[in-house]
Amino acid sequence: MTTTAAPNAAPNAASAAAPPGRARIRTVYRWEIAKLTAQMRTRATLTVCLVAPFLFVVLLDQQSQVPKDTLFGRWVHASGFATPLFLLGFATQWVFPLLTSIVAGDIFAGEDQYGTWKTILTRAHSRTQIFWGKTLAAGSFAVLTVTVLALSSLAAGVLLVGHQPLEGLSGTLLPSGRAAGLVLAAWATALIPLLGFTALAVMLSVVTCNSAAGIVGPVVIGLIMQLYSFLNGSDAVRHLLLATPFDAWHGLLRDHPYYGPLWQGALVSAGYLAICLAVAHTVLRRRDITGG
Amino acid sequence: MPTRLVRHAPRARPDLRAPVARRARAPLAVAGAAVALVALLSGCGADITHTRVERSLAPTFTNLYLQQQALLGHSGVTAATINPHAACHRLSPTAHNTGAGSDWVCQLTWTDAAHRVQKGKFELTVHPGGCYEAGGPTKIVGPVDIRAAGGRTVTNPVYEFDACFDTT
Amino acid sequence: MAAAPAVDARGLVKRFGDLTAVDHVDLRVEVGEVYGILGPNGAGKTTFLRMLFGLIRPDAGRLDVFGRTWARDGPATLAGVAGFVESPRFYPYLSGRRNLELLAGFDGADAATAATAIDRVLNVVDLADRATDKVGGYSFGMRQRLGVAASLLREPRLLVLDEPANGLDPAGIRDMRALVKRLAASGLTVLLSSHNMDEVEEICDNVTIMSAGRVAFHGSIDALRAQAPDPAHRLATSDDERALDLAAEHPGVSLTRHPDASLALRARADVADAYLIALGRAGIAVRELTLEVAPLESLFFMLTDPDRQDAGDRAAAAPVPSARAGAHR
Repeated sequence: MTTTAAPNAAPNAASAAAPPGRARIRTVYRWEIAKLTAQMRTRATLTVCLVAPFLFVVLLDQQSQVPKDTLFGRWVHASGFATPLFLLGFATQWVFPLLTSIVAGDIFAGEDQYGTWKTILTRAHSRTQIFWGKTLAAGSFAVLTVTVLALSSLAAGVLLVGHQPLEGLSGTLLPSGRAAGLVLAAWATALIPLLGFTALAVMLSVVTCNSAAGIVGPVVIGLIMQLYSFLNGSDAVRHLLLATPFDAWHGLLRDHPYYGPLWQGALVSAGYLAICLAVAHTVLRRRDITGG
Repeated sequence: MPTRLVRHAPRARPDLRAPVARRARAPLAVAGAAVALVALLSGCGADITHTRVERSLAPTFTNLYLQQQALLGHSGVTAATINPHAACHRLSPTAHNTGAGSDWVCQLTWTDAAHRVQKGKFELTVHPGGCYEAGGPTKIVGPVDIRAAGGRTVTNPVYEFDACFDTT
Repeated sequence: MAAAPAVDARGLVKRFGDLTAVDHVDLRVEVGEVYGILGPNGAGKTTFLRMLFGLIRPDAGRLDVFGRTWARDGPATLAGVAGFVESPRFYPYLSGRRNLELLAGFDGADAATAATAIDRVLNVVDLADRATDKVGGYSFGMRQRLGVAASLLREPRLLVLDEPANGLDPAGIRDMRALVKRLAASGLTVLLSSHNMDEVEEICDNVTIMSAGRVAFHGSIDALRAQAPDPAHRLATSDDERALDLAAEHPGVSLTRHPDASLALRARADVADAYLIALGRAGIAVRELTLEVAPLESLFFMLTDPDRQDAGDRAAAAPVPSARAGAHR
C-alpha cells in the first residue's frame, strides 16, 4: 500500500500558493483577457465597432434616399436617435453573431491551433476552471463589443445628426432624454440572444477543435434562422430560434411598451446557453489531448 | 499484478462510465423548462392575426394624425374626437387573415378635424416579428411632405409609417 | 515506512480504436533517481507520459504520482511535477517572458514572486536576452529551452521530459544533456523518454524499454549492459580464408562473411583480443577493425524487434527479472 509520508504529501511553494475554486477561474479569466488584448482580431473588431457607425452616418448623409426597409431608417435624417436604432436593426440581422463568434469561436480552438492545451492543462487548474475562465472571457468580449457599438452609434447619431425627438413605434414623438435612454435599453436587450450565440460559438469551437468552424458556424446558423423567419416558417419554431429575440427591443419603443418577446427571448437564450455550455464542458472534460 | 479499474471516489471526477445523462440533468432541465414556458406563452394562436393588426393600427394612426394636425396648426383635435376604427384582412384567400405578408389591407374609419367621417384604405406589409409598414391614401391623409404651420416643409407623419405589436 | 515513489504505474492500458498504444505497462520511479523510458517511435512512451500528465485517460490500470491519482485528486496530482510532452508549445503572439508569466499565473503564483522566479529560470536556460521577443520568432532549440524554463518555474520534484534532445542540433543536444545531468545532480527526480540508447545510457540510472506498447525490459543500466550481446565488429584481413580457419579454433569467436566480402566478428572483448593476437602470430595482418553496432544498441534492437511481440514472447523478451522485482507489490 502506498503511504503518503509528510514530505511527499506537502505541496511545493508554487502550488501551496494556488487559491481554490473561484479565484482560479478568475486567474484564467484575467489571462484569457490578457491574451485577447494581445491579439489583432480583438483590436480590429473593437476599432471597427468604434469607427463604423460614424462612417455609416457620413455615408447616409450623402444620400438623398433613406433606407426605409429597416425600422427607423426613414428617420435617420430627422433625428440622431434613429441612427443607433437603425444600426441595431441592421447589425442584429447580419453582424451580431460574428461580433461574438470572432472571439468565442476561437478561444478554445485556438489552443488546438497552437498546440497549447498540453501547456495549460498541466499546471494547477482543472479543465472545468479553464472552461469557465475562457467562456466568461468570451462573454465579456461580447458585452464589450455591443457596448462600444451602442455608444458609438449613439454618439455618431447625436453628434452628426442632432438630438431631435424621435418618432416612436406607436406614432408618438419621444423626447430626447427618453429617446436616449430607450436607445441604450434597446441595445442592452440585444445582449440576451447574443450571449446565446456566444455559447453556440463556444460549443462549436470545442466540438470541432477548429477556429473556422467556430467563427463561421454561428454566422451561418444565424443567417439560416433569419431566412426561416423571412420565409414565413411556422410560428412555433420561430419562437424557439435564437435570432428571433434580436427584435425584442421593438416593444420598448412604444407608448405602452410590451415585454413579451423579451421574456421569451430570455428563456430561449437561457435554454441555448444551458445546452451549448453543457455539451462543450462535457466534451472538453472527456477529451484525450493527443495533439500539440 | 492486479489490474484495477480507475475508481470512482466521492468528490472526484466521475467514473468514465457514469452516464453522461446524469451530469446533463441540470442543463436539460433548464432547457426543457424554457421550451415549455415559451410554448405556453406563445399560446395556440398565430402570431399575426387581423385583431392584433387592427388593435395596433388604430391607436398608431390616431397618434400620428394628432401629430400631423399639430404640425398643420389645427387645434381641437384629440384622440377621443378622432374615434378610429380599423378592419383588416388579407387579399390572399388562403391566408385566412393571419400571418405575415405584403397583402394586408385595412379600412380605417375616423373623424377628421372638420368633423367629417373619413374612410381610408391602408396597405400594410406585416413582417413575421409583428412590425409593419403602412401606407395611406394620399387624397385623404395628404402627400409625402406637407407644409407645416411655420412654413417649413416636413415629412407627413401619416403618409407612411412603421409600427410594431406584440406577437406573444 | 517507505516514501511514495515519484511515479507508480500498474497495469496501465490505453487503446485508440483497434490500436493498443499502452499494453499493461508497469513502471516505477523512485524519488531521486534518473529514469529513462526507451523505445522506438510508436512504442507508447509519449502516450504513457500523456497519461501521467492527465492529458489522456487510461482505459485501465492505476497511475500514482507521489501517491496521488487523477481520479481522486484532479490537477493536484501534478503538484511538484513539471515537464512537457513532444516539443513544448507556447503562444506565438506573446513574448517568452509573457508566456512564462501566464504559466506562473496558472500555477497560482502572484506577480512579484513570479517575476523573480522567471528571471532565475531564464538565466538557467540562457534565454534572458531573447525573453521579450515573441515566441513566434524563436528557433526550435529556443522553444525547447523555454519549455525547460517553464518546467523549472514550478520548482518541481519530478521533471518529466519527452525526448528532450529531439530536433536539436548537436550543440543543442550536448547542452540539453548537460542541463539534465546538472538538474539530476541537484536532487531532482527525472523521468525522460528517448529513442536514443546513448542518451539513456549516459544520463539515466534505471531504464524501461518499451516496444509496441509493452514493457520489454526494466532494470538498471548495469543490468542492461550485462544482458548485452558481444560487440559486433567489421574485420578486414590480408588473408580472409586463413582467418576463418583460425576462428574455428577459437571457441567464443563467431566470424562470418559479410555480403560485401568483409568479415563480421562477434566475440567477447577478451576472447576477441586473444584471437587478434593469434592472427598476428599466424602472419595475417588486420587491415580494418571497426565497431559496427554498440552492444547496448544491438540489445535494444533485439528487444524492440517487432517480430518478437507476440504474447508468448513477452516473457522471453524480458531476459532478466527486474532488479527491483521484490519491491513491487
